Amino acid sequence: MIVFRNVSLRYDSGAAALDNVSAVIAKGTFLALVGASGSGKTSLLKTINRLIEPTSGVVLCDGVDVRSQSAPELRRRIGCVFQGLGLFPHMSVAENIGITTELLGWSRADIDARVAELLALVELPQEVATRRPAALSGGQRQRVALARALAARSPVMLMDEPFSGLDPVTRDSLMQACRKLHDQLGLTTIMVTHDMQEALLCADRILVMAKGRLVADDTPAAFLRGGAGPEVASLIEVPRRQSERIQDMMRAHG
Amino acid sequence: MDERLRAAWRVLPDYLSQHVLLCASALALALIVCAPLTLLALRRPRFAGPLVAAASLIQTIPALALMALFYPLLLALSAVTSAAFGRGVPALGFLPALLALTLYALLPILRNAVAGLRGVDADVIEAARGVGMTEWQILARVQAPLSAPVVMAGVRTAAVWTIGAATLATPVGQTTLGNYIFSGLQTENWVAVIFGCVMSALVAIVVDFALGTVEHGVAARDRRRVGAGALVIIVGIGTALVATYGSGAKTYVIGAKNFSEQFILAEAMSRRVEGQGANARIQPGLGSAVIYRALAGSDLDVYVDYAGTLWNNVLGRTDTPPRDEMIAELTRALYQRDGVRVLGALGFENAYALAMKPERAAALGVASIADLARVAPQLTLGADLEFLERPEWATMRTVYGLFFRATRSFSPTFVYRALATGEADVVSAFSSDGRIEAQRLVVLVDPKGAIPAYDALVLLSPKRRDDPVLLRALTPLIGGIGPDAMRAANYAADRDADKQTPAQAAQALLAPLR
Repeated sequence: MIVFRNVSLRYDSGAAALDNVSAVIAKGTFLALVGASGSGKTSLLKTINRLIEPTSGVVLCDGVDVRSQSAPELRRRIGCVFQGLGLFPHMSVAENIGITTELLGWSRADIDARVAELLALVELPQEVATRRPAALSGGQRQRVALARALAARSPVMLMDEPFSGLDPVTRDSLMQACRKLHDQLGLTTIMVTHDMQEALLCADRILVMAKGRLVADDTPAAFLRGGAGPEVASLIEVPRRQSERIQDMMRAHG
Repeated sequence: MDERLRAAWRVLPDYLSQHVLLCASALALALIVCAPLTLLALRRPRFAGPLVAAASLIQTIPALALMALFYPLLLALSAVTSAAFGRGVPALGFLPALLALTLYALLPILRNAVAGLRGVDADVIEAARGVGMTEWQILARVQAPLSAPVVMAGVRTAAVWTIGAATLATPVGQTTLGNYIFSGLQTENWVAVIFGCVMSALVAIVVDFALGTVEHGVAARDRRRVGAGALVIIVGIGTALVATYGSGAKTYVIGAKNFSEQFILAEAMSRRVEGQGANARIQPGLGSAVIYRALAGSDLDVYVDYAGTLWNNVLGRTDTPPRDEMIAELTRALYQRDGVRVLGALGFENAYALAMKPERAAALGVASIADLARVAPQLTLGADLEFLERPEWATMRTVYGLFFRATRSFSPTFVYRALATGEADVVSAFSSDGRIEAQRLVVLVDPKGAIPAYDALVLLSPKRRDDPVLLRALTPLIGGIGPDAMRAANYAADRDADKQTPAQAAQALLAPLR
């Protein structure tokens, strides 16, 4: 369970990136954090593993203040897929995937076994293990990043725009893979995205942010029914209209 | 093979290994200094600009000047440490050269290290933080390997600069490949100059290639290439270490100022020492002020200096006692003050003198400076650039009442020529100069003893003043080199045609002693 209690992040200029955000995310939830650029969604995500420290408020992870242990130790226990992935270009795929377990002091044999297991889990062939990230396709790199985040069997998974920059087919298969892993491993997943369609397709619950504040919080079904306010309506409008047009075209030509 | 080339090859192992060790030490020290500075620039970005700017500022100081500046600095430091701990630090030789080259190597290393570390992709750094690395782990596992090629490129640039600039360490008393260049320039031995340049360039090319291999190996994460490049460097440094320290035999260091007579005498002493079965090394091209301090500090073991120079410049005396008194007083005072032993006079002097063409002197009836005073108001004096400012000239003028119609200054090479062309009637000269003999000039005698004695004296360092090998080798030289022999040797090395190397001239000088 993750709890945000009155979390604010103010810059020296007085502008607020996060403005008194409070939310409770139940264990096992696949939560999408949606909003435009600068809405504060990534900042909120990063307060969980302390890549950003709020100026006021508390973040709890499993009932414990995240500040109760050192930041590196905390981060080793929270899986994270970073925006732009941040794979280490000088390390092999296996070294990338195994980095957190290595930092945690696992034995070489345990790390190797875990890497093999993860490659299978994210549906990558074993032979990519020795390659460098640059030798992989975009979708394969995304899967490596996912495997790295899962390596330490963390129950919490943070994902910052994990599917950006992928072609639609790859993106769809990765979204399905993520959702499957979430269910299979019983994770609590928080995914930042600016794409409402992605949120509707993956998430159990969607938080919409604007100007550092939470403006909507509901299930995808409730969002589609409408009535969540004008900001949400405009976010829903685009995917709804696009899918309706495609359905019309399919009916006309199918 | 040309004798000059043979002479150059003979000293190559010594010059080359000292050059290599100096450069390697300076680079190693620069790397050690740069590590914390780079870290500071990385952790506190506002220091990065000023740090690199400071390193750039050092770079604007000419390398030679930087080395020269360390001489007074280290002298001052030496005075402090002597007072505090009873031990001085050497102001000459390895230390000032090392410090200057280290400062010089800072800029390329620091600039590339800062640029390389800051150039690492911010997403990758955030990911490293996000997977739970500490700041040190990020540095060691992510930033260092990713910036290594850029950092190595900086080290490579620094290495090439250092190898070139190290040739400038010769005038501060450190043996390098620059010894060829500086002594060759002085004796117009262009073979030596070119030899020194080529060797220094070769070292730079080899090191550049080896470090380039390391750099590309690092970039391609190819351990074999990194190893191959590193091996060349390690073998080079290892060989230099063995060549310098491996022989175990004691090497006597013989100093020389930067003119032919000094090179010849150093060669002669070197041969005598080697004749005793010991090793000798010549440290040529030292400045007058530098060389005595180097001897007093036992950085040199022996060199030849001139009575009047020691009297004026070292003891700071302005009176002109008779020759024997001056030498006796020098022997006493230098030993008492600095522990330096005056072994004795070689048998000639290199004094300031006045010289004329013989037919002109005969026509005017001039044989001494006293005679000259009578006719001087009708004559022109040609002097080298320094002479007219020297105390000797002032004394000569007062003692003899010398007034010339005109005085003209020339660079040393042209002074004698002025006599030939008639631009001067009388010239300042050095009494042991070979050209006096070659042009059959008349040196005017000094009946009133106005010119201080400039007898060539062999000086021994405090450390080696009672060394039996040195005493056996050099004592026979005392009183053994007369003015005519010295002039002939100087002329053989200075003349334009059929020029001899200092070593050849030294051989001729020593021949009668055997």
